[in-house]
Amino acid sequence: MTAAAPKKGPAVEPGGFPLNEFIVFSLIGGIVVIGIISAVIAGATPKGILTNLGFYVSVAIIFSVLALGFNLQWGYTGLFNAGIAGFYLIGAYVAAIAITSPAPPIVVGDVVVYPGHLGGFSLPLVVGVLLAMVAAGGAAAVVALPALRLRADYLAIATLALAVTLQIVTRNAQNITGGAIGITSVPPPILFQGTDASFLNAITMVGIGGFVLFALLVILQFMSESPWGRVLRAVREDEEATMALGKNTFSYKLQAFALGGALMGLAGALYAVTLGYLSPESSFAPAVTFSVWVMVIVGGSGNNRGAFVGAFLIYGMEWLSVQVRDQAASGLAANYLLMSVLFIALGVGALLAVLAVQFVGRRVLDRRRAWLLIAAILGAFGAAPAALGALPIGWCFALFVLLFGFAFVVDRAKKSRRARAGIYAAATLYGVGWAFILLQQLAPNAVADSFFYIRLMIIGALLILLIIFRPEGILREKKRVLR
Amino acid sequence: MNAVEKAFGGIRAVDRCSLDVAPKSITGLIGPNGAGKSTLFNIIAGLYRPDGGEIWFNGTQIDGLPPYDIVGLGLTKTWQIPHELRNLTVLENVVLAAKGNSGEHLLNLFFRPRAVKQDEKQWRLRAREILKLTQLDNLANEHARTLSGGQKKLLELSRALMSDPTLVLLDEPVAGVNPALTGSLMDLIERLRREGRTFFLIEHDMNVVMNRCDRVIVMHQGRKLAEGPPATVKTDPTVIESYLGG
Repeated sequence: MTAAAPKKGPAVEPGGFPLNEFIVFSLIGGIVVIGIISAVIAGATPKGILTNLGFYVSVAIIFSVLALGFNLQWGYTGLFNAGIAGFYLIGAYVAAIAITSPAPPIVVGDVVVYPGHLGGFSLPLVVGVLLAMVAAGGAAAVVALPALRLRADYLAIATLALAVTLQIVTRNAQNITGGAIGITSVPPPILFQGTDASFLNAITMVGIGGFVLFALLVILQFMSESPWGRVLRAVREDEEATMALGKNTFSYKLQAFALGGALMGLAGALYAVTLGYLSPESSFAPAVTFSVWVMVIVGGSGNNRGAFVGAFLIYGMEWLSVQVRDQAASGLAANYLLMSVLFIALGVGALLAVLAVQFVGRRVLDRRRAWLLIAAILGAFGAAPAALGALPIGWCFALFVLLFGFAFVVDRAKKSRRARAGIYAAATLYGVGWAFILLQQLAPNAVADSFFYIRLMIIGALLILLIIFRPEGILREKKRVLR
Repeated sequence: MNAVEKAFGGIRAVDRCSLDVAPKSITGLIGPNGAGKSTLFNIIAGLYRPDGGEIWFNGTQIDGLPPYDIVGLGLTKTWQIPHELRNLTVLENVVLAAKGNSGEHLLNLFFRPRAVKQDEKQWRLRAREILKLTQLDNLANEHARTLSGGQKKLLELSRALMSDPTLVLLDEPVAGVNPALTGSLMDLIERLRREGRTFFLIEHDMNVVMNRCDRVIVMHQGRKLAEGPPATVKTDPTVIESYLGG
């Protein structure tokens, strides 16, 4: 074939390094792989793994709801909220007080073991959630009423003050909030009994949270892409000009801020039932506010899907670092041989998959027969370690599925940007995995510990890279082409 | 429109200045830089609060009203320095200026979805018509930030027209617009005037002021210096001294 020969087949997508897809795939891949591996080598059952991953997903959903609320306020309307944690706290405590059963003080002798908390109204979950939204939305409106009339900075100061004050109040108003101990035994949506309780609870929370998140994304998308949402974006761009176009900008700012606050309250309510207990110390610290900022900035502000992607990625990194520290490191030390075999098998298998696609896929013209052949080759490769007794049969099957998927992606690599990004991400994860295994062998636990402690630096470095190369976030705000 | 008079604090940007703009006229406002012309416009449009005096528009006292209410009464202003909404498209910018678009109320979105859709469709058609008039229709779906300086001026005018105003305050509408387009823009403005709209414009392009305006008001140091038909004003010695030059 000469260089001038015209290309056949569908148009090739533009080249260049698929940065976005690469970042997203590597992080998601990392979360799933480490989640599974760390749980598996720590000897967990499939149910244990799912429970663990389920917990990650349900907390990530909570952060997504927070990020969606902040995105409505800041991404769409340009209102900077520095007290996200405060509205989150209001939602969590209001919901918890509404739905728990009475909790009187516990006194042993003269010592107050537990101060009790307000309420114990035993209301249904839905009522508790609605109350939480109303309370947090109302609080947002009350803070915003005076502050929105002033310059933008005052809103940030007022909300920050609210958040800090609320945290101190919840710690000290013992009769209402249970003080530093907090509110224990918030009932889960469905009470499960027996050994599977935590698994079933995690699944329920993912189900409920997933439904809420999906509904929110649909509704918010509808609202923010409507004429109403257009006015919000206009306020963000230039409030004075929007006023001169005949819009009561104050009213729009108030609506956006209160609705955003209500979403944060909803997130708080979800948090209360997901964890089952509340305490004012870490869950509602200013760090929560900062995390949500990062999520919206990384995901791409002014874009609902961006808020959601940012929340899953940033919380994913946080969760990963904890997993690595608590489970993967010790598990790895104990299963060094197994992991090495697995990684060698993965590497050789991947090479085999590439070769199979190159030679079988290109030579055998009948697609179905070609894929059957590739499956046979990879299946034989996957079965070998099991026959030799080097890997358990379940692992071998997983290995086969992974390799077959990889072959499929390799086959699409020429045409699809995403497939290329997937290969790069897989290669990166593989390299990181090896580095981790080897380092762990050289300096047990040091790696895991330092990873845990330098995670904020890693997030910071990523943020700097992102701001240099892609200031608008992973998913940029789309141009609205009107017909 | 009735007597307009106001004082403005600190530096007396607008100093007890009274003037009338006759309905269905094109009235020019000229004066040296810093004479208080743009400030006066901002006060009339409700963006600045006057320190004193009264402003009447069609029998309604409008001083102290918020800008959006003033727009609601049919008085719109454009900006000297374009205030385009940068990350919205040109078409979005213009559609936003429509008055009474039902979809801009949150509750209507959920309870009257059909009316919202209908409304939005009509306003988009109207916006497209206006963009044809101002020759921006081929840029309708570009971000407003990508427009050139002159095009941004046209966008200002398009938005003003979209609100279906009785009185339009135009702050240097043709500064930075090319001569051919300036001509057709002023033709457009004259046509709209014949349809019953009033234009009050600040302009330094004497060609436009002298040939297109019915009356000219000259401001100097926050006060009205002279007023009358263009020909009279042109020969007024005080105006020549302070503004037109020998």
